[in-house]
Amino acid sequence: MDAVKPRGPHQALAAPDAREAPGAIGVAVEQGTAHPAAALDDVTFTYAGGDRAALSHVTFALGAGEMVGVMGASGAGKSTLVKCLNRIVPAFEDGAFSGVVRIGGRVLGDERVCDAAPIVGMVFQDFEAQLFSTNAAHEIAFAMEQVGMPREEIAARIAPALAAVGLIGFDDRDPTSLSGGEKQRLAIAAVLALRPAVVALDEPTTDLDPEGKAEVFALIRRMRSDGLSLVVIEHEAEELRGCDRIVILREGEIIVHGAPAEVMTRLDLLEDCGVHPPDLNRVLSLLGIAAHAASIDEAEALIRARYTNLPARGASIDSGGAPALADPLAAPTDDRASAPPIVAVRDLSFAYPYGPRVLDGVSLTIAAGEFVAIIGQNGSGKTTLAKHLVGLLAPAAGTIMIDGRDRAALRPAETAATVGYVFQNPDHQIFAATVADEVAFGPRNFGLDAAEIARRSDEVLRAVNLDTLGDRDPFLLSKGERQRLAVASVLALRPRMLILDEPTTGLDYREQRRMMALVGDLNRAGIAIVMITHTPWLVAEYARRVVLMRHGRVTFDGAVRTFLARDDLLAGSSFRAPEATALGRRFGVVALGPAELAAWIKGRA
Amino acid sequence: MPIYLYIDHGSVVHRLNPTVKVFALFVMFWSVYWVDHPLALLPLGALMIVLAQLTGAWPNFYRLRWLFILLIFFTTLAWMVFYRKGPALIDTPIIHLSRASLTFGLGRGLKLAELLATSVLFLSTTKVEEFTAGLARIGVPYRVGFAITLAFRLAPLFIDSALTVVQAQSLRGYDFNRGGPLERVKRYVPVVVPVFMGALRKANNMAMALEARGFGMSAMPTSYIDFPIRPRDRVAYALLIGLAAIYFLIYWTGYGSISAK
Repeated sequence: MDAVKPRGPHQALAAPDAREAPGAIGVAVEQGTAHPAAALDDVTFTYAGGDRAALSHVTFALGAGEMVGVMGASGAGKSTLVKCLNRIVPAFEDGAFSGVVRIGGRVLGDERVCDAAPIVGMVFQDFEAQLFSTNAAHEIAFAMEQVGMPREEIAARIAPALAAVGLIGFDDRDPTSLSGGEKQRLAIAAVLALRPAVVALDEPTTDLDPEGKAEVFALIRRMRSDGLSLVVIEHEAEELRGCDRIVILREGEIIVHGAPAEVMTRLDLLEDCGVHPPDLNRVLSLLGIAAHAASIDEAEALIRARYTNLPARGASIDSGGAPALADPLAAPTDDRASAPPIVAVRDLSFAYPYGPRVLDGVSLTIAAGEFVAIIGQNGSGKTTLAKHLVGLLAPAAGTIMIDGRDRAALRPAETAATVGYVFQNPDHQIFAATVADEVAFGPRNFGLDAAEIARRSDEVLRAVNLDTLGDRDPFLLSKGERQRLAVASVLALRPRMLILDEPTTGLDYREQRRMMALVGDLNRAGIAIVMITHTPWLVAEYARRVVLMRHGRVTFDGAVRTFLARDDLLAGSSFRAPEATALGRRFGVVALGPAELAAWIKGRA
Repeated sequence: MPIYLYIDHGSVVHRLNPTVKVFALFVMFWSVYWVDHPLALLPLGALMIVLAQLTGAWPNFYRLRWLFILLIFFTTLAWMVFYRKGPALIDTPIIHLSRASLTFGLGRGLKLAELLATSVLFLSTTKVEEFTAGLARIGVPYRVGFAITLAFRLAPLFIDSALTVVQAQSLRGYDFNRGGPLERVKRYVPVVVPVFMGALRKANNMAMALEARGFGMSAMPTSYIDFPIRPRDRVAYALLIGLAAIYFLIYWTGYGSISAK
């Protein structure tokens, strides 16, 4: 019985003339057929209640076996575009739809979203919402059960699906116990088990640490080399260098469409569209080299061809002594010694009941005016440490002093006036009817008078650039604006230290820059910043001190440049140096950003 | 911290057919229903302690320890207010402490605690997928069973999100415990709004992900879980029917009631 025989790991249910690629991840592709794997023809969609079209006359084709990257600012229509492929738009989302969507030449008409599942797989950004089973095997089985596959076939497909995403032996693991990267790979396996012809991934790595991100993109590259047709939405252009084509959307329209080499050299346009341009191309452009580098090797070769007197590869690392590296933001400072500590943690340990130790002998001091990045894998104890600083968790052992007073004697609300905490998701705190009310909430709780509240509200709303939106409903703001509102409402208590947990998650590049400009300004105004983050360029360009956590311990605490110069730390940290830094190290220098590296190279000429 | 109660312990109870466990849930509720006297309820409590040990479910009981303690304590106390029978040891306009009111209240408290313990044991030993499959096997429509089990999957997510919101607002100096009862209810608005908005968004995302994975394609999806009735399941059925019968007999003979001496 051929139907229940375990075949190649993934094969399209709906591709009668498909060729099999033995042992491959992807489906066999209908090569040589006239139809693209997926196509949108003059598609326009306006969400119910929307004031403009989310997609406007979009025509787009995904060739069989092709990988297309979709980029653009928040609200540009990227998600709407991919949701057209499996009928979420318009079958699930309310709105006005016109145009034609074809999958493998077949026009999608009145199908339900579930009917498209066997031919179009979709992976979402939010893994909590797409994993709902108690173990990995059930998670993968779910879609196959829904399409009515016999038990034997389901059982035969689970192991290959897990193998395809590198999760062999994970059958009985509870999805909630997996790391971020593993969760997202499991979600991909659950989609691949149906062997769809097209897979769309909507910002699949937004919430992942660099290691998880690398895992997922390595998997995506494998899926592509095995012939699957892929659409990937992503903010970081460098991740999409391996695509066949890049599509850039702005306000619902495709404004650029071309090969990566063509699109990724248009740096200003990328930035203008909320996309983080590749570091390598930025360095080349600053050096006057009009070319696209597909890898660090290529960038190095292009630069060496132009600048012949650069140190050879393997030269000793210059971690900040060169005059060109005297950027004030970048210079390693030792402001800890001069200022009294706001927070002093000594031998802090913590474990949840029946759980392993989450913090293990952590000692740390943070002084006024510092800018500290806490980095480390998901689950390394970063957030647990931060929650101890503000009194949301009580240590099992060790002490925490806030401004010289034992934190155990302070209520969380009392700590809040010294140490502010901005949660990762702004929507965990926003509730008021207007932006101004939201900001006034904290000061009101502290019993300040109306005049003082008004003064502080004005002050912080100006600081976060929301002063013209005081009367707006916070739920109608963009994600970036809501994140800045959350910062403003914590700032209204005038803390001397601000803890930011992943302040840029889910923001596009433009919003990330705006957010970080704000954080930089606050820091220059004297507020100590503690930022928990996974994003390498944020650490390199903004922080001055790195605290690296691993298995609940602090394994490094020192200047950013020192950290980025040490391969041993980088290797075990799940952290990747930004590409500009990695490129600089080929020339024996630790640069913290493209501008710094380009300036150093020019200075050598 | 784990967000589900299921503990993969691999005990014989874990390996029972889910329909047996759904039946066991019914039998426990049935048995508890027929008797009022704490002494009659104690054997069931002892059985649950044995099962908790056997199934490795103690961490879940530990997590819910305050709920158990408060449930028994406040139920006992409440019945001292309403159950005003028997010679009083202490008699005030509010509290009527007598042997009868204490026995009755303690019985009610134990009943509730045992119902809770049964549910905890069930969820500690049964995966939600097995629960869905078990419900489908006894004739509950797939979508209804799935909706019930989805509630179990979602509840911990919402509790988690509510805790985060409470933390976020308390760090903005908010005191939830100020004012009278009505004022206190109103003071939960800064929690309810973000949790509700978050729940709507999460539910929408989840519905989208479910449909994108084919949910709704077939009214009777196939099941990956294969659960034939094995000898141990037949033994379990027999024991459970015996237990149900014994408790009905205790009721029938009047030994389970409070008046029994």
